Amino acid sequence: MFKKGLAGLLSAAMAVGMLGTAMVPMNIMADDVEEITWMFWDDLEATEDLISKGYKQILDRYNEEYAGKYHVTAITTNLEEYDGKVNALVAAGQTPDVFICNPGPNLDVYVNAGVAADLTDILQNQEKEWYDTFTDGIFESLTYDGKIMAVPTNFAAACVYYNTEMFDAAGVEVPKTFDELLEVCQTLKDAGYTPISCSAGTAWCLSMIAGYLCDRQGVDLDAIAAHEANWTDDVVVQAATKLKELSQYFQETAAGDSNDQATAGFYNGEAAMLVQGSWAIGQINGNNPDFESKCGVFQFPAIEGANDPNRMIVKTDNLVMSSTTEHQEAAVALMKMFTDETAQKYTAEIGGKFPIIKNVEIDYEVAPAQLKYVVDIMSTATGNFGFYNESLASVEAGDTFDNAMVDVFLGNQTPEEACQTIQTYYEDNVWE
Amino acid sequence: MAAVEKKKKKLLSPVMILIYVLLILLAFIYLAPLLWMLSVSLKDNAGVMSAPFSLPETIHWKNYAEAWRLGRLGAALLNSVLVCGATLVISLFFGSMAAFAIARMKWKLSELTHMFFLVGMMVPVHCILIPLFVRFAKLGLTNSRFGLMLPYITFSLPMTIFLLTGFFRTMPREIFESAAIDGCSIYGCFFKIALPLCKTGFFISGLMTFVGNWNELLLAMVFISDPARKTLPVTLTYFVGPYATNYVQMFAAIIIAIAPTIIVYSLFSNQIVEGLTAGAVKG
Amino acid sequence: MDKLLKDKKAIILFVTPALAMFVVILVIPIIQMFYYSLCDYAALTPPVFKGLANYKKLFFKDATFKIALKNSLFFMIFSAVTQQIIGLFLAVLLTNIPRGRNLFKNIYYLPCVLSSAALGLLWAFMFNPKIGINQLLAKIGIKGPLWLMDSKGFIVLPMWVIAFVALWQYVGQNMMLYMAQITGISRELFEASYVDGASKPQAFWYITLPLIKPMMITSLSLNCIGSLKFFDLVYNMTQGGPNHRTEVLATQLYAEGFNYFKYGYASAISVVLLVMCLVVTVLIKRVIKVETYES
Repeated sequence: MFKKGLAGLLSAAMAVGMLGTAMVPMNIMADDVEEITWMFWDDLEATEDLISKGYKQILDRYNEEYAGKYHVTAITTNLEEYDGKVNALVAAGQTPDVFICNPGPNLDVYVNAGVAADLTDILQNQEKEWYDTFTDGIFESLTYDGKIMAVPTNFAAACVYYNTEMFDAAGVEVPKTFDELLEVCQTLKDAGYTPISCSAGTAWCLSMIAGYLCDRQGVDLDAIAAHEANWTDDVVVQAATKLKELSQYFQETAAGDSNDQATAGFYNGEAAMLVQGSWAIGQINGNNPDFESKCGVFQFPAIEGANDPNRMIVKTDNLVMSSTTEHQEAAVALMKMFTDETAQKYTAEIGGKFPIIKNVEIDYEVAPAQLKYVVDIMSTATGNFGFYNESLASVEAGDTFDNAMVDVFLGNQTPEEACQTIQTYYEDNVWE
Repeated sequence: MAAVEKKKKKLLSPVMILIYVLLILLAFIYLAPLLWMLSVSLKDNAGVMSAPFSLPETIHWKNYAEAWRLGRLGAALLNSVLVCGATLVISLFFGSMAAFAIARMKWKLSELTHMFFLVGMMVPVHCILIPLFVRFAKLGLTNSRFGLMLPYITFSLPMTIFLLTGFFRTMPREIFESAAIDGCSIYGCFFKIALPLCKTGFFISGLMTFVGNWNELLLAMVFISDPARKTLPVTLTYFVGPYATNYVQMFAAIIIAIAPTIIVYSLFSNQIVEGLTAGAVKG
Repeated sequence: MDKLLKDKKAIILFVTPALAMFVVILVIPIIQMFYYSLCDYAALTPPVFKGLANYKKLFFKDATFKIALKNSLFFMIFSAVTQQIIGLFLAVLLTNIPRGRNLFKNIYYLPCVLSSAALGLLWAFMFNPKIGINQLLAKIGIKGPLWLMDSKGFIVLPMWVIAFVALWQYVGQNMMLYMAQITGISRELFEASYVDGASKPQAFWYITLPLIKPMMITSLSLNCIGSLKFFDLVYNMTQGGPNHRTEVLATQLYAEGFNYFKYGYASAISVVLLVMCLVVTVLIKRVIKVETYES
């Protein structure tokens, strides 16, 4: 009885198991096609993100152009699980040939572990023509000890978006300084408008404003990294104090609203201003097409008597090539396609991000109106810096900064206490 | 219970009415959020943000069609059914054998073995993910449904064994004794007596582990790269973008994903509980 | 009979398949986890042995760990108490009503079959200040609190919110377990007691309770282990924020391991979690003594 039963059940189980294995589609490929993988943090079919849609087109174009020679397959996860999956693949020796990566501490991890290939020779010697198409200085944040470790695909800049109708109705002009900004907010508030839409539920949104305030105030991150300056210095405390001051003009639900909601609050006409990266342009116009004509953009205001007011927060998306790839030529060909004119034109005209190569002719008639405003602001920019949470010593240090700013906003810590929290973290973990 | 029905003199006592009011109120608390989810899945994204609680003005059935197409839910559904179904059968079979040996048979290490299996429930999966993945990659078992089944079965075993041990232990000793006197072998005791008597145990532990696996995201996400082999929970994340989430299609996809569980569950749960109360257990 | 139950060959046949899978797939990674907890291990570079450094940091320096520990213990005690009592209460009610037993049971069990991730999202929506419950409260003139962002008090409000959502989601599980056990009690026992003049509460106290004791151990252990390891709802509702105030052990270990790439440190937290689960399980077994049919 037992043996019969066991055998029956086992064979049933095996059959299901075999079925599982047998149903695996066999990718029968011609021997001469080089198969590579590319890893990304958004699904390419279901996505609504315009940049992701653009990436899908690039992949299709690649597979068509190199048909019979190279073939790329995308491995996608969602953003939350991305790092975990990349790490698992790396640990198992299955590093994707090319994968996307944030600049700063995230890239540091892959560079320090020797996972990222050194692209210096390829760019500066073998593919000099390709290298020359890039915008000057774009590789700065991707260079480690003189070695280029990643190729950018686009960059986004953070600005202040505003509702021109509300500004007109309240009779206010675009503010040039922080004090003017506070006045504008007060006037808007008196006129019955919510001045600023911001999300503290998504910490990096609040942190973007904090980052601007720190930089305008004159916080020097390099000096802090070298411990020549401290987080408890007066400039940081002042920036945090100004954040607290400004936050009284946020919408009432700022503490709980997510990034999506804060942006929606702006394009639905519930608030007059929004501090966001340029990727929000697509989101704004996509959800409320009527809004494009009344949406203005200005540079984050200056703090008088402090730092250079023309520096901008920018963020690049980057491609890392695996140091162990066996298909270097195919991988380079893919990266080239990400940075060719077709792809870069799409990035600007549809994606709402900026090209990283020179000499792209952008048709501003086609592109969203806001893009041109941002370009105009950028033409006067004197320098740029990264998101604060991507510019500190580690991902954790970035989170510590973000969290401290959220606490200042919520009133759980005074600006001095919050700065002390970051200082303590650095003393314990970074400056040892 | 039945005793009450027999003594049914009044139709419903005041206490009973009170109990029913309480139960209905509670049922409302349970159903309202789920109905709300259904309502969201039929709106458009702008509507969700502006008037989340109102009923959809126009019914957007196309959310479901879009979610089905974009999320490749057809393939995902098949994968989930295959992986979770096979896992269910194997883990119940292996688990019930081990549980029977632990609960009813006499050997020195039985308590220790029981505890040993229990440890499996206490390990946070996040922490063994990487070592597990590396080992499976070396064996060529990643990116396959069979490879995903193995950890699912293993993670289901502790729960199955734990629950079934409890059920086997409460069975009266006398049934097995009389069976033994009738010349029944130990395998007979297991297959002919213990298993049929343990229907409820099977149902509950099967349900709990099945639901766990059906909703499992992390292992599925890391183990499977090929879109054609992804399971349902993974495809649900497709709708969460890096900067914005497509709520309506995600909720539509969630409803598609939970429908099979609910249908299967409601089909079987009644039969089993009724079967029991009909007097299956006489001891 | 004893000879039958001591059949070594049968025992080995019964236990080996499960044990083999268990050892190969789970035990080896667990041993690795113990080793990593003694290492400085940045996920992509090989681990470097550091002795007890991770544990020292965890217990003496890490403020977040203290919060996570506090929240996890709160969550365990809250869940164990409320889910046991309400679960048993519902099971008793449902086994005693003449009609609709299956309907109500199915409704209450429904959230258990749904993914916590989806429900977390749903509830995050509900407690969102702009679109959720606060909008309904505003209509009757009450200004609702910041359900998921408030940060005052020993146990912050978001923790209570999450604990109630967990109660809502999982109480059906205990109810099911107890119902299974109660419907398994033979009807003659109750009928005999009623003939002897016992009231319903007496029958519950003297018949039902003692007979469901084994299930109490099972469901209480599942409850406690489940709540110590609890991850999904917290991760999907608050991600441990604001500023780590709703962090529990599982979310902290996830953040350390997957966001900060500190695998060694995350492993140390896992070991602590594992030990806590073990201690709790043993305690439950000791406290609730059961006379089995065997003894």
